[in-house]
Amino acid sequence: MKRILLMLMLLCAGAAQAHKASDAYLILEADATGLSQRVDIALRDLDRELQLDANADGQLSWGEVRARTHEIDQLAQQGLGLVLRDADGSSCTPQALAPLQIESRSDGRYAVLQRRWQCQAAAQDLTLSYRLFADSDPTHRGVLSLRGPAGDQTLVLPPDGEAAQLRLGAAHSLLSVLRDGVHHIWIGLDHILFLLSLLLPAVLVREGTHWRPATHLKPVLLEVLGVVSAFTLAHSITLALAAFDILNPPSRWVESLIAASVLVAALNNLWPLLLHGRWRLTFAFGLVHGFGFASALKELGLQREALAGPLLMFNLGVELGQLAVVTAFMGLVWGLRQRSFYPRWLLGGGSALIALLALGWLLERLFDLQLLGL
Amino acid sequence: MRRLLGLIPLLLLSLRGLASPFTPQSDDEALEQLPRRLATAPRQGLALPQALALAQAALQRARQEGDPRELGQAQALLAPWWRLPSPPPAVRLLRASILQTQHRFDAALQDLDALLASSAPLALRAQAELTRAAVLQLRGRWAEARGACTRLAGLSYAALGSGVQVHGRVCLAELDSLQGHGEADAAAALAQLARYPQAPTGWVRLLRAELAERRGLPEAEALYAQALQAEPSIYTRAALADWLLARRRWADAAALVLAHEVELTRLPDALLLRLAIAWRASGHARAGEAAAQLHERFEAAALRGDGSAHARERARYALDVRPDAREALQQAIANWALQREPADALLLWRAARLPGAPKPLAAQARQAIEQFRRETGLNDARWSAAS
Repeated sequence: MKRILLMLMLLCAGAAQAHKASDAYLILEADATGLSQRVDIALRDLDRELQLDANADGQLSWGEVRARTHEIDQLAQQGLGLVLRDADGSSCTPQALAPLQIESRSDGRYAVLQRRWQCQAAAQDLTLSYRLFADSDPTHRGVLSLRGPAGDQTLVLPPDGEAAQLRLGAAHSLLSVLRDGVHHIWIGLDHILFLLSLLLPAVLVREGTHWRPATHLKPVLLEVLGVVSAFTLAHSITLALAAFDILNPPSRWVESLIAASVLVAALNNLWPLLLHGRWRLTFAFGLVHGFGFASALKELGLQREALAGPLLMFNLGVELGQLAVVTAFMGLVWGLRQRSFYPRWLLGGGSALIALLALGWLLERLFDLQLLGL
Repeated sequence: MRRLLGLIPLLLLSLRGLASPFTPQSDDEALEQLPRRLATAPRQGLALPQALALAQAALQRARQEGDPRELGQAQALLAPWWRLPSPPPAVRLLRASILQTQHRFDAALQDLDALLASSAPLALRAQAELTRAAVLQLRGRWAEARGACTRLAGLSYAALGSGVQVHGRVCLAELDSLQGHGEADAAAALAQLARYPQAPTGWVRLLRAELAERRGLPEAEALYAQALQAEPSIYTRAALADWLLARRRWADAAALVLAHEVELTRLPDALLLRLAIAWRASGHARAGEAAAQLHERFEAAALRGDGSAHARERARYALDVRPDAREALQQAIANWALQREPADALLLWRAARLPGAPKPLAAQARQAIEQFRRETGLNDARWSAAS
């Protein structure tokens, strides 16, 4: 009877709600060569499981937590059950744990465990068999936020040990691939310098051994259109061939040839050999640049089955980025073409600088050296 | 201006949420105050009586200290039986109580109905009947609750002694007290029951205090204080804080909350909410901090998928801490679908009257309350006080 009354007393507490229940936070960020993993686990939960409070004073000190780093990490690793495979299907390996840190969250302090997973290629298949605190608190949840090029994804995992399978490669949205294309051309100094070398003389007309400013815009635009179209057509062909693994030349030769193409284009401005129909030169070298774009596309770790869409978007991104550079550049040089310094300093000096830089790249890439840091 | 200043720490705090983790300066740096740890008994493979006793203790701590982690422990202790369609009656009863505390009312009622239909020991059935009455009352199903209370007060459980009957009469008096026409009688009945030695003192005092508040009587304050003395539950403390807040006694309300716990991060949501209201209204320097802390908790709960369990607190937050008419009304409606106590009705009624509330939703909410009042006869002086 006494027991009943004791239980009856409990009822009047009604629905007094309080803190949230136990959560751990998993932040996983995939990139070209692996994944960075961060797990935040509440110190209170860890203490319940591992009795961290060594001196039993009801308080956790940094020393008490730090001394048990290894066991905390083991508990986390077992609880996560993380398996990662890359785009080629081989397993990725976890690296050493970064030094333990602490985070303050709304319901107390958390231990922060960070490490990298290293892959041979882009990280692709992620499996989590989550069972952290499965035996001591079934209401515990793992709140996973998966970050990648395509944006964030949040998932709530109960500790039931069921394998949650996530495809990192499939996470790329078409828009993000478009942005990657634009990004790639903008940071790809070699591609841009190749184009600029071809466009520098476009606003001038060669007469004998001298340059004079072009008088009409139309032939200039036609020439630019020819050069840009040839470049686009050529690199689109090889980009597609390489993306579908039909042609896969070694990247060292591709990169060296790209450097050589910049060198040739710049030298042709200093000692013009090919004046009319520069588009032919552009087309030939454009083929090489396409292989270069392909390696950037592959770093995104896309699925072979669903490559067509991203390939198109990546290419479109490259063209958009290229169009923006060309438009801005042509506006500038058209305005400057009648200045006396244009032929000697902009065309001559600029091309000489580009040629020097390209020569440096060529040596670097051919002989695997570090000269320029670019 | 004060209000603006309050926002600054709030912004800083929400930024801090994004900040990177840190490495403490020295080994002696204190990181966390720990709750009382469960006796380090082996958790796996406990026999049923031990598992039940430990789980019951965990549930009790959850209710006194407001830490839902304890509910998880209780569930873990009962793991071997938790998923059984019909576990042993004692487990089933405890499971219903845990489910109820987790706001999973329908699942709780299923277990309780099954227990009452079974041949479980009479004592367990009496407890199931009482828990069921509490859940039904909370859900606004007063007629069914009355049936349960009547059985408790009658002869069905007479074999267990007069204690059960007293509980049944308290339970009936509570239902009467909610309805305008029964108020005076209920007050008299509760005053009489308070003198019974078998009566649950804390509960009776709380009911008397709540009734006095709904009737607009000043003795409510003393009754709340007595109830808190008899049983220092979070629910009672929050109810007294609300009484003080309604009388603009900001400092008293804040002091009452801080008497439970001074560390903001360790305050249960319900109490932190009252503190944030008091501090904001009085322009306290830490008002922004308390508000940001609450906001962060709501966000964290929503992230794990527990958003609706906090609808009551979120509605109040949007009403009195960071005014947002639309949010207040939406949360009050979500809460009304789950809980229908006088406090929930008051919340919905206040939210529906906010000038910025979406018109069709507000009309819908007003209609729901009117209907509930007509059907139940709920009377509450706070409604006219707040208008």
